[in-house]
Amino acid sequence: MSERSKGFGTRWRAWRIARARAFGIARARAWRIAAGAVMLASSAIAGGVHAQMPASPAPKSADGGAVTADEAKAVAERRKTETEHPAADAGAQKLAKGPHGALPVAEQLAVLDALDLPDGPEIPRGIDPLVWQALVPKDNEITKERVALGKKLYFDTRLSKDGTLACATCHDVSRSFTDRRPVSEGIADQLGQRNSPTTMNALFFQTQFLDGRAALLEDQAKLPILNPIEMGQPSEDATIANIKDDAEYQRMFQAAYGGTVNYDDMARAIATFERTFVFLDAPFDEFVAGDSSAISAKAREGWVLFNGKARCVSCHMLNPSNPIGTDDRFHNIGVSARKQNFEDLAGKALKALHGKEGAEAQEAIDRLAIETNLSELGRFLVTKNRSDIGSFKTSQLRNIGITGPYMHDGSMQTLTDVIDHYNRGGEANPFLDGGIEPLALTETEIESLVEFLQTLTDKRFAAEQRTETARQRAVAAKQRPFRENDLAMRKVLPFESRVMGTKEGKR
Amino acid sequence: MNGSRILLGLAALGLAGVGLVGLAVADDASSASGAASNSLVVQLCDGQTTTTVDKNAPKTKENGQKIAADLMAQWQRAHPDANWIATEREKHMIVEPADNTAMIGRMQGQTYGQVTERDVLSWQRETLAMAVHGSTVFHSGDELGSTIAVSCDMCHPDASNTHAETYPKFQPQLGRVALLRDMINWCIEHPVRGVKLEPDSPKMRALEAYIMAQRKGTAMNYGAR
Amino acid sequence: MSRKFTSIETKHYEERSALFDALPRLNRRDFLKVSAAAMAAAAGSGVRFHPTSFQPVTVANAAGREPFTFAYISDSHLYRRDLNDRFVRSILRAVDDVNHLDPKPDFILYGGDLAQLGKKEELDLGAEILKNVQQPIRMMVGEHDWFLDMGARWRELFGKETYSFDHKGVHFVVLMSVNEKDFWTARKMTPEQRMGTVAGLDNGIQSRFEVGAEQREWLKTDLANVAADTPLIVFSHSPLYKYYKNWNFWTDDADEVQAILAKFAHVTVIHGHTHQMLTNRIGNIDFHGLLSTAWPWPYAPEGLPKLTVQMSRPDPFDPNDGCGDGNMEVNADGLVDKIYNLWNRNPIEVTSGYLASNGTKEKPAAPNMTSF
Repeated sequence: MSERSKGFGTRWRAWRIARARAFGIARARAWRIAAGAVMLASSAIAGGVHAQMPASPAPKSADGGAVTADEAKAVAERRKTETEHPAADAGAQKLAKGPHGALPVAEQLAVLDALDLPDGPEIPRGIDPLVWQALVPKDNEITKERVALGKKLYFDTRLSKDGTLACATCHDVSRSFTDRRPVSEGIADQLGQRNSPTTMNALFFQTQFLDGRAALLEDQAKLPILNPIEMGQPSEDATIANIKDDAEYQRMFQAAYGGTVNYDDMARAIATFERTFVFLDAPFDEFVAGDSSAISAKAREGWVLFNGKARCVSCHMLNPSNPIGTDDRFHNIGVSARKQNFEDLAGKALKALHGKEGAEAQEAIDRLAIETNLSELGRFLVTKNRSDIGSFKTSQLRNIGITGPYMHDGSMQTLTDVIDHYNRGGEANPFLDGGIEPLALTETEIESLVEFLQTLTDKRFAAEQRTETARQRAVAAKQRPFRENDLAMRKVLPFESRVMGTKEGKR
Repeated sequence: MNGSRILLGLAALGLAGVGLVGLAVADDASSASGAASNSLVVQLCDGQTTTTVDKNAPKTKENGQKIAADLMAQWQRAHPDANWIATEREKHMIVEPADNTAMIGRMQGQTYGQVTERDVLSWQRETLAMAVHGSTVFHSGDELGSTIAVSCDMCHPDASNTHAETYPKFQPQLGRVALLRDMINWCIEHPVRGVKLEPDSPKMRALEAYIMAQRKGTAMNYGAR
Repeated sequence: MSRKFTSIETKHYEERSALFDALPRLNRRDFLKVSAAAMAAAAGSGVRFHPTSFQPVTVANAAGREPFTFAYISDSHLYRRDLNDRFVRSILRAVDDVNHLDPKPDFILYGGDLAQLGKKEELDLGAEILKNVQQPIRMMVGEHDWFLDMGARWRELFGKETYSFDHKGVHFVVLMSVNEKDFWTARKMTPEQRMGTVAGLDNGIQSRFEVGAEQREWLKTDLANVAADTPLIVFSHSPLYKYYKNWNFWTDDADEVQAILAKFAHVTVIHGHTHQMLTNRIGNIDFHGLLSTAWPWPYAPEGLPKLTVQMSRPDPFDPNDGCGDGNMEVNADGLVDKIYNLWNRNPIEVTSGYLASNGTKEKPAAPNMTSF
């Protein structure tokens, strides 16, 4: 893997140069160095170009799935199709669906193979070895055996109570490692309150879940299995009982962690497998490595806006140490404030959590977050800090073009909606993040930003990005529910309707 | 103005920067207004500034100085930048640059001889002038190009909390390592809502000079948060 | 059901801090590479916030008086709306805040500097916005409201600048503490130049603030019939003590005014102008500063009262950080607990008990990032 680590140094230097360029600083010198960097960088990236996904992958024997065809069919019939995100139906990959809209396991595995992910401890391309150290817990180093076990578990529907859900149901390899629905569907087709974040690059986050209630992937993996309306297992023991007699699991747990089948190691193996989901090979990376033609002129304008007028970078920081575009902080941008009674919820949540400590509090929060409208309080449920009311974790920007719908509740269909939302200064509420103010972006500037964001999609999903770009463009041409020009251009001010009773905010 | 003219020349009263002031005095009786013949219009040598006085007032030194002072005050108001360094220093505390007088008389043994008093004076004057220029930009929304009438001093009186000594440093909200000028430009673009300055522009250089001047004596500590 | 994720989380944080502890030993290049993560971790785990809920606890410990609350908005520095929307948005946010307080405050104090340059359209805009405050409002004047027309428009809109009133057994006095000795006539300044000079905090041409002899006489008369055990709350725009002269964080005749207040057992002075969390106690007098809605001031280089609970330096990337509004809990003993509602931060409460104990008791939990 020396090729990969060599690539990092080049990229890191090129990043700084590209940033200098974006900020209009030391231009002449930056261009001169960048020209030299192109040659170095292109050799590093050459190994990263992958074949596109097969249009109809050949079925393979499943080494994880345990759903019978009948079960799958029964669930499919009960499925609430109205919750489907249109992306699942659109474009190039019209794929057969299993329970809850997920691609059947065998087909997902074929898609996964085409992505050519690491299967062992090598440091994924594009990551600084020192940063990698901070990303992998000391007590769960990556080994081939652990990745293999995690892979089997990730696709195993026996981890759910009714056998219809695996991790791969809501984090479907064929649907950008998410489910492309506004909110996720659990056992008995129950809908949760939150949008399923992609597991691509999830390893980079400092906390997991949209409210950060778990620190590590290891912690995250345990919770959906036991949540009553997600995978619905009554207990850790009940979960393990489903798989502990599987001889292959016994062999694999022994090889991976030197013990019997157990819940903690199950979560650690899943986390290890998820740490192979590194997708940092996008046109944007070629651009910052010095190839200015890697992205369009419009996208380049978007990058300047991203760092300047649109102020995206203040929360979505992108740099070699932190390559996914998040500050790992929690911000109230007002998405919750569009829900009724949001402000009353805070008081109720304080009562619900009163006197609960430690694991008990965490369990209460987990259930509140998934099952009730208290979910809208976001990070507040974890910290009980007033300053955290209605705040959610800053999303990553990698592959954002294909991981819609957007926001913690999936309430935005397109990236244009997202920019519209920020352009109007979010939604006014007493807890709105102070950095969220109207941006006065023009239509052209909005288009440039959207086009820039699409360059952050890994090249392995280039075809999907094209399809999704076309779909979102068509949707945005028809509807712009968050567009509010008078607010964006500061003719009407945020809080004005709340205070003065004018018509601001009416959509 | 075809009446009799009296031309006076007198040394400027406490007005550095304008050497000699000429006065033209016109008999008001001949002016278009045709007003009472008791008044006299006195005009400054700029051909624009005038004041009206009583023709019959005793021509004492005191009265003469009153006329001169009035004209001068008017002229100064119309030309606020005439003595901009003194004006700005009266308004805003600007830390003086280091004193190099100890170098006077020293030499390095080359053809250019030893450091003179005048050398040190010009170093001091020019350096201070740059910081003073920075102060005028720092304290003016117009100079900064603010579209919302915001200037640096509104959050940073006397350049406080600008901590020039901590740059370069990683600025999380810029997602990168920033120099002082990057942060100045960020502030100009966002809270000030203007157009970023070219890094080598006179205004940016002056702003850096003023901010650094105000942190004189603070230990350099790049990277500090 | 045993879940171990909490301990894993703790362990993870320990490991991460161990890694970051080792950072100084890294060479420069390595350090640059991980510095982003290091800072993020420090900020994420190092800061603890006071778990203040919406309703601060009101202590009903004395007989006779009913505890009550009043809220404040201060230092909005409005320009014309079409010139600067930022500051208009901020005062709107503050009005929204005080309108949503539960329980409702008895009244709202406006702490001065409604306008930036004292212009009619600025004051009129402010008055128009403040009409939407649902509770009665008590106005105080600031130097930015005053020095264009020496208070003429402000008085037309809001009445007298110096007045007193009684509320639930507490005597309130509102002073005009931002008089300045004439620096403008000799310089033949226009009213706009005079206003512009005063509007610059670090502008050294202007004079120092003072209440002035006339108002001090008025104050003596006003207080003559108030019993010494009546709780007294004084509103002044400038701090009624001497903090930092160069920025007019200062009242020149503060000592004389304090002497007039000396006979009262419980005196609280609430002041604007300083745009920061600021706390002091001199003799029998508690002093609390107000937050601005427009922008925060840094702490002055010297003279900061030692009881001050400092707010962390504001984040320039968040244009609302360090700004906000707040409320005052007037306890049954007539003493005041001050709650700073810093936008997007946790509220911080500075109690009378903290001041009475000279900072040894009821120490507020506050963020701990220092200023430069």
